Amino acid sequence: MTAVEETAVEEQAAPLLEVESVDVVLGRGWRAAQVLSDVSLKVWPGQIIGLVGETGSGKTTLARTVVGLADPRHGRVLFNGVPISELRGRARRAERRQGHVQLIFQDPLRSLDPDLTVAEIVGEPLRIRGERDPARIRPRVLAALEQVGLDATAADRTPGQISGGQRQRVSIARALAAEPRLLICDEPVSALDASTRNHVLRLLDELRGSLGLPIVVISHDLSSLAGIADRIVVLYRGRIVEDGPVGQVFTAPRHPYTALLMASAPSVRHDRPFTLGQLRRAEGDPAPPEGPGACVFAARCPFAVAACAAQPPLQTIGDQWSVACHRHQEWAPLARAR
Amino acid sequence: MSNDRQPLPEELLRLDDLHVSVHDGAATAVRGVSLSVRAGEIVGLVGESGSGKTLTCRAALGVLPAGCAVQGGTLSFAGRDLTALSRRGWERVHGSQMGAVFQDPASYLNPSITVGHQLAEVLRVKQGVPRRAARRRAAQLCAAVGLRDPERVLDQIPAELSGGMLQRVMIAIAISCEPRLLVADEPTTALDVTIQAEVLELIQRLRDERGLAVLFVSHDLAVVTQLCDRIAVFYAGEIVESGPTREIAERPRHPYTQALLRVASVGDFGRRELEVIPGQPPQVGADITGCRFAARCPVAEPACRAGEVEPVLVGDRHQARCVKAGRRVGELVSR
Repeated sequence: MTAVEETAVEEQAAPLLEVESVDVVLGRGWRAAQVLSDVSLKVWPGQIIGLVGETGSGKTTLARTVVGLADPRHGRVLFNGVPISELRGRARRAERRQGHVQLIFQDPLRSLDPDLTVAEIVGEPLRIRGERDPARIRPRVLAALEQVGLDATAADRTPGQISGGQRQRVSIARALAAEPRLLICDEPVSALDASTRNHVLRLLDELRGSLGLPIVVISHDLSSLAGIADRIVVLYRGRIVEDGPVGQVFTAPRHPYTALLMASAPSVRHDRPFTLGQLRRAEGDPAPPEGPGACVFAARCPFAVAACAAQPPLQTIGDQWSVACHRHQEWAPLARAR
Repeated sequence: MSNDRQPLPEELLRLDDLHVSVHDGAATAVRGVSLSVRAGEIVGLVGESGSGKTLTCRAALGVLPAGCAVQGGTLSFAGRDLTALSRRGWERVHGSQMGAVFQDPASYLNPSITVGHQLAEVLRVKQGVPRRAARRRAAQLCAAVGLRDPERVLDQIPAELSGGMLQRVMIAIAISCEPRLLVADEPTTALDVTIQAEVLELIQRLRDERGLAVLFVSHDLAVVTQLCDRIAVFYAGEIVESGPTREIAERPRHPYTQALLRVASVGDFGRRELEVIPGQPPQVGADITGCRFAARCPVAEPACRAGEVEPVLVGDRHQARCVKAGRRVGELVSR
């Protein structure tokens, strides 16, 4: 066995990040809303995971739970084997200051301080970790800027003086300066033009290649993930409905919601497995089962049957591929016949 | 070209050599844009941010932001010149002749008044419809834009509705006085893909059922190719290519359009290289001799920078602003 294969086996054994059947409830009393239900996710080093879902599906809450900004009611989050969601007080603050997990937001204009220069922004995580010597901070800032393809002239500008694509690079540079072991990007390219979007996605792909950095990319745009992600995780109303290798999921989606997302994406080409009409509920379709325990997607699913009155568990259907649908083997031919 | 073509429908909106200045006249952001929208036609304006597509549509609506002004050119609607129309004049055009929807519906609605009240208000002010009848019409409009349970929606305030529902409400308001043209500026950009697909279908249905003409602005080439009959591609304040959607998508003649098609991975689920367009677009108002895309163009030659590049006809209603488009050199850039 070569060294590479050996590490690969080791990686399979120990994921860097493990989210174990997490429930997250936001708000209290009558306002309380369960945002995540029984969500499990594993991330190994060097992987890019695409997390997709629409508004309110819980993508951002999942990201916040991983970095410790939201606490799970059930389940736990392990980072490198340490249950970070169970740390309290001083231990938790120490863990957070390390900055092992870095978050990048959608709109850099709002997440970057407009009054600081790029160099100050990128150096901030170093100061948070206790580095006080400017002579040691500056070279690391410039190194981080170089990693994202920005030259030193950008260092003394403010976020308002650079373009949108450059600002997103600054957010990535700030995250890299903290020497993270996991990067989570929340809609990093949604506000960018197509060419700039591809620039930023390429950069993330390069970082994965050169640093072996695992990245979770949250997006509502499936096709922009097709170019970089290894695995696609689809969330619907707080539950993972499908999780699998990108090539397989995008060729033959096994959950009707994944197929609906793909069919909804506007296209300059026409190469999707199903049309919208085949995947939407029509007038004559029988009423879907209702009730608190029903499958989260049942109300929108044209293939729902009586069995769907109970939420299906996420079941393994192939190598690294799982889906939460009672009819995952039956709906595709039915859709084609519609 | 065949002679048995049907006569073209009436021309509604027409822009001729439109110039728009920004920063109180310090720079020109739209330089000589000419386009037309005929009755029942959906025309798409596409380009990167800062390319002038939104300013063009704002000029067509007579609602340019502060500091921006029409510097030259003419603007007409159904044969009537609107270039120097007064504010009162525009008020009569808005709603009854042209309706508009924008990217962020929530910011155009009053957050503390019910949707029904706001819809009825438009009908009462613009058309003098009595109160009760206005409520009935409002309910009909909500049904027409595909809102389920219109009576309930009418009694809700904007915060109680989702983004997709709010955009439907905005479309209902925009078409309430039966305008002949709908101007839609990035109406689906803030929506989820599944909702975006529904709103695009709604716009298409309104065109089919009511003969509504639509001027649709988007940065997303995939959305525009899916929805529109004709496309105008903007770059640095100019239209670099325009023509029927199929022509543009299948036989693009301008290198910028070809580049846009290559980077538009949207809707493509095969794994492939993430292509980019090298370089940056020029600053607004930059003084450039010749083709404005030359600095980023893979096939630029000295002739591109020699002088103004005029649009050339390269097919049926298909124009490209490229010195090479006129010559039949086959594909400019290999696919």
